[in-house]
Amino acid sequence: MNQLRWDPTLREWVSYATHRQDRTFFPPAEYCPLCPTEPGGFPTEVPRESYDIVVFENRFPSFAPEAPEPNEPGTALTPTAPGRGVTEVVLYSDDHGATLAGMNERRIRNLVEVWADRYTEIGAREEVEYVFIFENKGEAIGVTLHHPHGQIYGYPFVPPRPRKELEAARDHHEAHDSCLHCDLLAQEHADGRRIVHKSERFTAFVPFYAHYPYEAHIYARRCVPSIAGLDEDERRDLARTLKRLLKGYDALFGFSLPYVMVMHQAPTDGEDHEGMAHFHVEFYPPNRTAEKLKYLAGSEVGAGAFIVDALPETTAAALREAVEEARR
Amino acid sequence: MEKERETKDDGRYIIFYTFEDEGEAEDSPGEGGAH
Repeated sequence: MNQLRWDPTLREWVSYATHRQDRTFFPPAEYCPLCPTEPGGFPTEVPRESYDIVVFENRFPSFAPEAPEPNEPGTALTPTAPGRGVTEVVLYSDDHGATLAGMNERRIRNLVEVWADRYTEIGAREEVEYVFIFENKGEAIGVTLHHPHGQIYGYPFVPPRPRKELEAARDHHEAHDSCLHCDLLAQEHADGRRIVHKSERFTAFVPFYAHYPYEAHIYARRCVPSIAGLDEDERRDLARTLKRLLKGYDALFGFSLPYVMVMHQAPTDGEDHEGMAHFHVEFYPPNRTAEKLKYLAGSEVGAGAFIVDALPETTAAALREAVEEARR
Repeated sequence: MEKERETKDDGRYIIFYTFEDEGEAEDSPGEGGAH
């Protein structure tokens, strides 16, 4: 059952997918459903003995293309809608123990190609207004399968956070006739203290207003609305920058750092987002130290106001040092 | 990039992406930096 219910107090949709309660939960490595199917072995999600990169429809989808009309009709105040959309799993490698940070640039570059292809294909579907590419990594984030993989949601609406960001970008564009993200990037370059890594076509930095101690964003230097709009050199450079930042994250505390990685880009709702949507990747590691995690509690959950116990200038310096150390 | 689409027994699609070795170095030499 995939169903949307409208929250008129926050003006946002909440998605219900009750079948997800039964999803696979920490299977032993020898029964990983994301590994290739070995001859004579149990059938996994991938009916081949090896693979490069694989995408498939999630068995426990948050959104489904054929979701029926909800049996709960709702009201004018609190309408409901079918949870129609796309829920995909992206397998980065057939190596169960691999991580994105440990992969070579060429494989990450191939993954960029797949992400771009999925953005285009999913975004072309009539019911999809926003293609959201993301990865949850590590048990601290709630990951239930360790095999290296990410996910893609094709939402039937523009979700609240990207929507808020786009509205801010639209207001900024109207007031200043410039892209909000380009201006933020220029400010970060001019200041320099929060820059973590700069390559030819992308910049990784801890934003001035980071909500998590080691949050980092990777911005395309060119104002390009989506991953599909990146040219060949930019795709190669994105792979390189991702690798550098991820190696830095792993060097930061000396272990494979959990994180949430998300991509923000233009909605596929048929509107014009040129000059407002600016492709970027955001990372949210939950660790505030090697041993301590940042939990979203009263202020963050109930008030939506983040309290952060480290300044971005301090954490950026530590992360920059880790990135440099990982390169040596 | 080659893209091969199949349908699983339960009707879900699965797409296999395969890539040719383009002769690029696996990792680029150190370039870029913080400033």
